[in-house]
Amino acid sequence: MERTANLPLAAWPVARPADRTRVSARLFAVSLIASACLSAALASWLPLQVSIVTVFLFAGPHNWFELRYFLMRLPARFGRSRNFFAVAFAGIGLLTLGYLALPALYYANVWSGENWPVAIATWNTLLLLWLAALVIMRGKQNSRRDWSWALPAAFGLCAVNWLVPDLFSLAIVYLHPLVALWFLDRHLRRTRSEWLQTYRRCLLLLPLLIVGMVWQLSGTPSLADDNGLAWRITQHAGGQLLPSVSTHLLVSMHVFLEMLHYGVWIIALPLIGASGAIWSTRTIPLTRRRGSFPKLIVAMLICSLFVVAVLWMGFTFNYPATRDIYFAVAMAHVLAEAPFLLRML
Amino acid sequence: MKRTLILSTAICALLASAIYAFGDIARPKPTPVEGKTIFYTGLTIVPDAKSYEARLQISQETLKRLQSAGANTGGSPSVVQNVMHSSTRTIVAGLFMFLAVSFAGVWFARSSQRRNHKAIAAVLLIAAVFGIGTVLVRANAGPPGYIRWQNLPQSLKDGKATSGGLNIEIVPGDENIKLIIPLRNPPKPGEE
Repeated sequence: MERTANLPLAAWPVARPADRTRVSARLFAVSLIASACLSAALASWLPLQVSIVTVFLFAGPHNWFELRYFLMRLPARFGRSRNFFAVAFAGIGLLTLGYLALPALYYANVWSGENWPVAIATWNTLLLLWLAALVIMRGKQNSRRDWSWALPAAFGLCAVNWLVPDLFSLAIVYLHPLVALWFLDRHLRRTRSEWLQTYRRCLLLLPLLIVGMVWQLSGTPSLADDNGLAWRITQHAGGQLLPSVSTHLLVSMHVFLEMLHYGVWIIALPLIGASGAIWSTRTIPLTRRRGSFPKLIVAMLICSLFVVAVLWMGFTFNYPATRDIYFAVAMAHVLAEAPFLLRML
Repeated sequence: MKRTLILSTAICALLASAIYAFGDIARPKPTPVEGKTIFYTGLTIVPDAKSYEARLQISQETLKRLQSAGANTGGSPSVVQNVMHSSTRTIVAGLFMFLAVSFAGVWFARSSQRRNHKAIAAVLLIAAVFGIGTVLVRANAGPPGYIRWQNLPQSLKDGKATSGGLNIEIVPGDENIKLIIPLRNPPKPGEE
């Protein structure tokens, strides 16, 4: 006992858990701030080039990580959530098909360009009603929740959508990347609660960066969209819908938010263990269910990797066309985030 | 019965004559095609005693913006124009707004029976803040555009420059460039 008391404690490394937590939280905060600032700087400096490179490198892999994550969050047995998941999957399937059908029907001359806003508004309405249904169903799973406000909120948004359908769709383009930050918040709350406060403080930097970008770039001349690819990128960022805003600002802002989105799905969530060990299927509950097909899940993940490789090849051979196809098909992952985020709330 | 019959016949005759009376109304004059505003900028009118020709000076940046705005005239009408010219969408938006208010009312009534007083107070507070904000913004609206052009005649006499806002409109036809200045009639002596 005496020997233990006489041990020179100063020679020992810092081993207290509280100190370790503080150090790791600081490191986490520094990484977040550095990543956000670097993303904002790159997106503001070379918006078109960074957009092309970012989508080429990360669009496919981030979808694979999302698929891996969704499989992990899918319960082995749906139980009381059976109806919730039935509505969720039906909505994802039908809305994605509808979204893909819109340009197809337009190019097939089924309707004229004048009816395009009505078609977009109809799709957005279905999306909002689907979301409202999911929110209400999720709310009913817990008697302490009253989420019936979702219906009037959805109707209110539907009204706005019918007034300005194009701008409403553009809002989805800009807001979707931020959903990833919400996922990260929920996971930190569950797995690294000691980092949560630091993370939320770091989030305050986001509006500051956005205001800074607007301040710096609002007066810049619009980007030269004299080739098809540059035109597509500026249109995707809302160049035509907001003609009075510099496309340099619009593209930079969109690229910045996309980079945050990719960073969360590819780096942050796997690092905190939200996606489980990437190559292990043991963390996927469906594979442990009796009567399930674990090999099918593995095959699905491997096929998805193959799709990522095909996407890279497509980008290499015909970047503009592949980009168009990708952003149309990628609506599925945008929709899939909604039910899984609701399950986290 | 007889009186009712006579009265009914008289009313029908009166209504039938109204059709003929309306038939005499002249056809409405075709409304002149209004110019479509594509761009807002500023204009300075400078009297120059040394010049022999009127000149229109446009900066390179303004010209670029003008070209860009002109190129977009067919494709992207303003939000207000969009809504005004699409009755279907306006009707559907109104229907959804009606549903939103109705369901919000039901939710409000149900939740006020429970415990959500804080949330309701927050919603009312936000609505009040937006209302006050709207009043403030409207109250801070600048003076109407014609005020800046009021002194133009006097400034031209004095050889001074006058600046004000300018909407650039595209009108059909092949006429000369026309500058329309919003000058209100100055009050005559003795009117004040």
